[in-house]
Amino acid sequence: MTANIEIRNVSKQFGAMTVLDDLSLSIRAREFIVFLGPSGCGKSTLLRMIAGLETVDGGEIAINGERIDHLPPGKRGIAMVFQSYALYPHMTVRDNMAFGLDNIGVARDVIDARIAEAARILEMPQLLDRKPGQLSGGQRQRVAIGRAIVKEPKAFLFDEPLSNLDAALRTRTRIELAQLHQRLQSTMIFVTHDQVEAMTLADRIVVMNNRRIEQIGSPMEIYERPATKFVAGFVGAPAMNFVDAAIDRSGDVITVTFADSTTIATDIASNQVVDGAHTFGVRAEDVRIAPTGQGNVDGKVDVLERLGERTLVYTRLSDGQIIVASDAGNSRVAVGDTVGLAFDGRKSHLFDETGRAWHARRA
Amino acid sequence: MSAPSNSIKGRAFGDRMLLALVILLSIIMIAPVLWVIGLSLKENAELMANPNSVFHAPYTLKNYINTIGTSSVFRWVLNSIIVSGGLTLGTLILSSLAGYGFARLNFPGRNILFVIVLFGLAVPEQAVLVARHQIFSMLKFHNTYHGLILPGLSASFGVFLMTQYFRAIPKELDEAAMLDNASRFKIFWKVLLPLTVPAQATLGIFTFLGAWNDYFWPLISATKKDMFTLTVGMASTQTNFAQSEGIGFLMAQAVFAGAPILIIYLFFQKYIVTAVSGAAVR
Repeated sequence: MTANIEIRNVSKQFGAMTVLDDLSLSIRAREFIVFLGPSGCGKSTLLRMIAGLETVDGGEIAINGERIDHLPPGKRGIAMVFQSYALYPHMTVRDNMAFGLDNIGVARDVIDARIAEAARILEMPQLLDRKPGQLSGGQRQRVAIGRAIVKEPKAFLFDEPLSNLDAALRTRTRIELAQLHQRLQSTMIFVTHDQVEAMTLADRIVVMNNRRIEQIGSPMEIYERPATKFVAGFVGAPAMNFVDAAIDRSGDVITVTFADSTTIATDIASNQVVDGAHTFGVRAEDVRIAPTGQGNVDGKVDVLERLGERTLVYTRLSDGQIIVASDAGNSRVAVGDTVGLAFDGRKSHLFDETGRAWHARRA
Repeated sequence: MSAPSNSIKGRAFGDRMLLALVILLSIIMIAPVLWVIGLSLKENAELMANPNSVFHAPYTLKNYINTIGTSSVFRWVLNSIIVSGGLTLGTLILSSLAGYGFARLNFPGRNILFVIVLFGLAVPEQAVLVARHQIFSMLKFHNTYHGLILPGLSASFGVFLMTQYFRAIPKELDEAAMLDNASRFKIFWKVLLPLTVPAQATLGIFTFLGAWNDYFWPLISATKKDMFTLTVGMASTQTNFAQSEGIGFLMAQAVFAGAPILIIYLFFQKYIVTAVSGAAVR
């Protein structure tokens, strides 16, 4: 069973504060969609509205064409995995999984079969007679997912389910979730503020900020062609480098000039961009370390982050702006060195005062 | 090396002093109980002649046999069990329901109502005694079990305790149960209430012990001998019949009277210790 979910012009207020403002979104059947955004952007509220745990103040939500925003949570045919897992502490794993099915009158033998199947999928048959207090964080997570699976819902909702796990377990569970999605082929909505989770799990990412959707797109679309300066800064680690720049539209492509007169030829078509103040953006991997004087600009190395497969080089320009470059894992650069920074203009971006983005022409 | 050794010695001395103090306190606590048991095993005439005879034989079970045969103490124990049990059960039910309501339901006037309930903690029983006595007289509630039970059911402390306990339970459990299609009552009954067992135990123990030891209201409400609770009954015999019935006989009654509460204590020792130390309230 799977579902396409339509969210049309949805709004939500808490008292005088607007949390979501006229938000629309179409989620396709079998899609793994991730709501990504900083704390307080409204992503969890939107998820809870789909679940029925928050009322919809304006607009409507439909599953498979049928409005559900007036239905109680238990009648919407969806299952949710909470950040805190929300397992019933006094019930065994088996009873936790059976509770929802019991409530809708599913026959005992069907319940037993579904629990056995979910336990097999999640490799936890040995846990069925334990109580949540006797389980590790990762095992509780599995039980919470198992409780959702047995309901055979139209859609799965995940509210930051990995945030309570340690780094290693988070990575493993992330992979298992991706496998689970492939196996079940269900619609899944996943809320997170962790861009790695979003990039690795999502078919499409919905980037949210300040009560509204900033961009909807595939992970690589979001990464390579962010719609706004916020998306460019929020997605990617380290964040995109931003430098205030003046633009020259006289040629086919834009040329940007920094405050220190450094000029960089981009591959952004001139006729797209309007006049006004702009910010030049380039990702760390598109900034190459060069010998002093041989890049577009020189910078003094402030900090080095050695990540193994690459080294992040934090440099300070003469006007105080920080530029991060990505160098080889065995980079010989040292803190205090002055290095040249060569920007790849073909992979650069421009942002106007409103935050709207322009990108290099597609190859 | 010498410093830790001295420290251990110092601690051992401190522990021994503490142990001596605990033993001394235990003797002070237990001595009256042993004295009661000793007196209950002696003939009245012998005690009247020489009170120190309690320390040596002969001992007898005659007072216990007389108690079983003639005393009202069993009736009073039964009354106390009915009143304390009824009051405890009623308090647990009402406090749980009210606590859930205050903690989880949104209704107009909820906060004001909660303040009024808390205000009940500050009102002494004596302040409402006359009015309550008149109302109960009018309703002919005196010398009835419900007359003894009803006043205790307005348990501000219980409502406060259960409200705080329900508030401490994560709301995600309610929400998970809502997504599991559980009704509000089912969420209360199957999901939340079982999680409040430690608070229920604390409240139940305090309520039961309080009702068992209560003297003031039963003294006023129960005027007929067969409706006395244990406290009132015991007081009446000690006041009126000590000379005629004999001190040994009265002490045998006291042993019978203390037995039920001792049994309850032995069963619920763990919960009582937790409740008194306050650790049950998360």
